[in-house]
Amino acid sequence: MIDNFHINQTFSNHFDLNEDVYALFLKLSNDNNHMHVSDDYAKEYGFEGKIMHGNILNAFISYFIGECLPVKNVVIQSQSIDFKKPVYINTKIQFIATVDSIVESVNVVIFKFNFQNSQNVVVAKGKIQIGLL
Amino acid sequence: MNKEEILKIVNEVFVDVLDNPNIVIDLNTTANDVEDWDSLNHIQLVVAIEKRFNVRFKSNEIRNWENVNEMIESILAK
Repeated sequence: MIDNFHINQTFSNHFDLNEDVYALFLKLSNDNNHMHVSDDYAKEYGFEGKIMHGNILNAFISYFIGECLPVKNVVIQSQSIDFKKPVYINTKIQFIATVDSIVESVNVVIFKFNFQNSQNVVVAKGKIQIGLL
Repeated sequence: MNKEEILKIVNEVFVDVLDNPNIVIDLNTTANDVEDWDSLNHIQLVVAIEKRFNVRFKSNEIRNWENVNEMIESILAK
């Protein structure tokens, strides 16, 4: 199973941060902070408008691990993410993950990832460690 | 590196991975002696030790470890 992965192997996905996704995440998280619901408020703090919840990106990571890998019997063992830039509603986000290390003795694969906006600016980056069961 | 030096570094890895600054391990320490040294944390310890010492273990090596001494013997054998 671990043979399905090799160092520097790259995976990518595109995600649409449209109004539907925004509304669903707003409902799920119940985080109605003004920064996420008010353009005027967010602009007061120097943003272009209301900003998307950064943790929506973790949901995209969940989709990537659960649905996009060549094997399905995997679990996330650890994950870290640094938010670099705001993400706005009605934008497209590209996710790129690269296999950084493989620990065969314990069936572990570690990815480095980043999310980029449509201007190819990194908006978040981090690491994911998965275990193959 | 001798066994004592490796033990000191392995102790640092345990402190970091298990997030417990009070951990003190010795060669006879087993998983039963250390709070939170469970199966999931064992994976994290192996990952961290492989990275720290730049070594690669075999899965059967790990299965045979009965205490910290056997872990360190595996590191020394690389």
